[in-house]
Amino acid sequence: MRPILLSGHERALTQVKYNPDGDIIFSVSKDHVVCAWYSHNGERLGTYHGHQGALWTVDVDPTSTLLATGGADNTMRLWEVQTGKLLKTWDFPTSIKRVEFSADGRQLLGVTEKRSGHLGTICVYEINPDPEAKQSDEHVLRIVCEDSKPTVAGFSYLAHYIISGHEDGSVSQFDAKSGELLYNTQVHEPDALITDLQWSQDRTYFITASKDKTAKISAADSIEVLKTYVADTPLNSAAITPVKDYVILGGGQAAMDVTTTSARQGKFEARFYHKIFCEEIGRVRGHFGPLNYVAVHPQGTGYCSGGEDGYVRVHHFDKGYFDFMYEVEREKAQEQANL
Amino acid sequence: MSRVAGRTDWAEEEDEDSLTLPQQQIIKNKDGTETIITYSIREDGKKVKTTRRIKKTVNKIVVNPRVAERKHWEKFGQEKGKPLGPQTDTVSVAENIVFRPVAGWKANTEEKSQEDQKKADALKSAKIKCRICQGDHFTTKCPFKDTMGESEVTPADMPDDAPQAGAAGTGSGSYVPPHLRGRGAGAGEKMGGKFERDDLATLRVTNVSEFAEEQDLRDMFSRYGHVTRVFLAKDRETGRAKGFAFVSYADRSDAAKACEKMDGFGYGHLILRVEFAKKPGN
Repeated sequence: MRPILLSGHERALTQVKYNPDGDIIFSVSKDHVVCAWYSHNGERLGTYHGHQGALWTVDVDPTSTLLATGGADNTMRLWEVQTGKLLKTWDFPTSIKRVEFSADGRQLLGVTEKRSGHLGTICVYEINPDPEAKQSDEHVLRIVCEDSKPTVAGFSYLAHYIISGHEDGSVSQFDAKSGELLYNTQVHEPDALITDLQWSQDRTYFITASKDKTAKISAADSIEVLKTYVADTPLNSAAITPVKDYVILGGGQAAMDVTTTSARQGKFEARFYHKIFCEEIGRVRGHFGPLNYVAVHPQGTGYCSGGEDGYVRVHHFDKGYFDFMYEVEREKAQEQANL
Repeated sequence: MSRVAGRTDWAEEEDEDSLTLPQQQIIKNKDGTETIITYSIREDGKKVKTTRRIKKTVNKIVVNPRVAERKHWEKFGQEKGKPLGPQTDTVSVAENIVFRPVAGWKANTEEKSQEDQKKADALKSAKIKCRICQGDHFTTKCPFKDTMGESEVTPADMPDDAPQAGAAGTGSGSYVPPHLRGRGAGAGEKMGGKFERDDLATLRVTNVSEFAEEQDLRDMFSRYGHVTRVFLAKDRETGRAKGFAFVSYADRSDAAKACEKMDGFGYGHLILRVEFAKKPGN
């Protein structure tokens, strides 16, 4: 496969995301600008201007009409995808670390940073999917996390729960209607921050990546750890691939933690693990810095990664990726064919 | 550049530098490819010209109507007004990556390195070879040192031995290494012996183009007889020819013919000079 390099950003990428049809990639970086790209050839569709600080997060609604972003300028913003027009700005006392739409696109959550007397919170807003409509100023739900600040959060299937990952390696489950804390459990090492939380396609389970060098798949309703993937470097991101049962992990030593930063030493590779057998099956190199985010094409035909080096690399998988099977899988497939 | 000529502001100067960069050039080639020439200034201030040759292919895929509609959206923001298709300043294609998932990926690579290690070890031990019993130890440590031959050519005896070896050797009076003494010139299996014989029918070819290949030389020279060996000196780093070569024939008369015919032959953009190789000793 020949990766496409997108070099529209001047600083480190913080998040990249495919829209649900997989034809557009949105990328945000610390350089204040949001970019939209066509995923098939890397052509840039446009840029969204207005943020005054580094951007941490981006998400697109299920119909690809609205785009939400959050950043270090203490605002969460809503954009019209097609024109790049700014529709709405919500102001917060601290920066926004994560935004995510619910599966139906009617709700939007924002995770705020804990800083200078403000606790980390998760705020939920009702969203009107019409770009012409006026969006409400008032949040419908505000969850204040007193113990440990949340770093990532998302809506489970049918927006039943809000699942959040915390600085202390724990995962919390909240009722998405009342905001009540239902369950909290230590999923990762106590001192390792959870860096990413991504959903399976049906949002019944999710994968968390952590600085403790592991990624774990947990069920959304029981928060029971189902699978653990052990890597040899702190992880920044983890994604679950549809079609094939793999997971992709991204990470690498942060530049300030390494003395020798050769591409090999820093372990700046996307690692592929088999989702069921939890075994590493391959790596893809390319970035010159840690991978800050990996996103998978919703149809499972490719993935893209955003790195500390300021590049987005878009990969379209070749045949070898789809053909690979474990011996047991092959036998099973053979049996099925014989029936 | 309507600036006053006398004004020298270092901050402005830099700007002017970037202004003088030639425009990006796109040349459409006959075979359907495009050559893109871009100019940029590197961090160290040097102007860099980048030439890329690309081939564009159109892949048609069927997508759902939503996606098809989005393909025709107008560009906005920084991309506003830019033509259709990927722009060279933001999009490039990286080197091909071979990605093939394998079960037990890690174990796989470790095994490989172990194999390499074994090979390296084998090579190391292969270099040590006893001249007496052909075992993998130094000759001086050989357990059969006293019982089996070679007793008269031990290094300690060398001074007395040398003239005798000369007589028994090639008869040229040249230096004969201790392990070859007493074997005579005809012993063909040994490396040294082979070179000795070859020298008689070996041509030295000079003024060879640096793009020459061994096979080309072999083809040219085998017209005059059976070529046993072609050696083209190459630079270890660049892999290019250094400009001279040796060609050995099985028969000296063939070599003489080739020497006569090929001297002054035009090869590449240079004219070859061919002569009999001089023996290193003479």
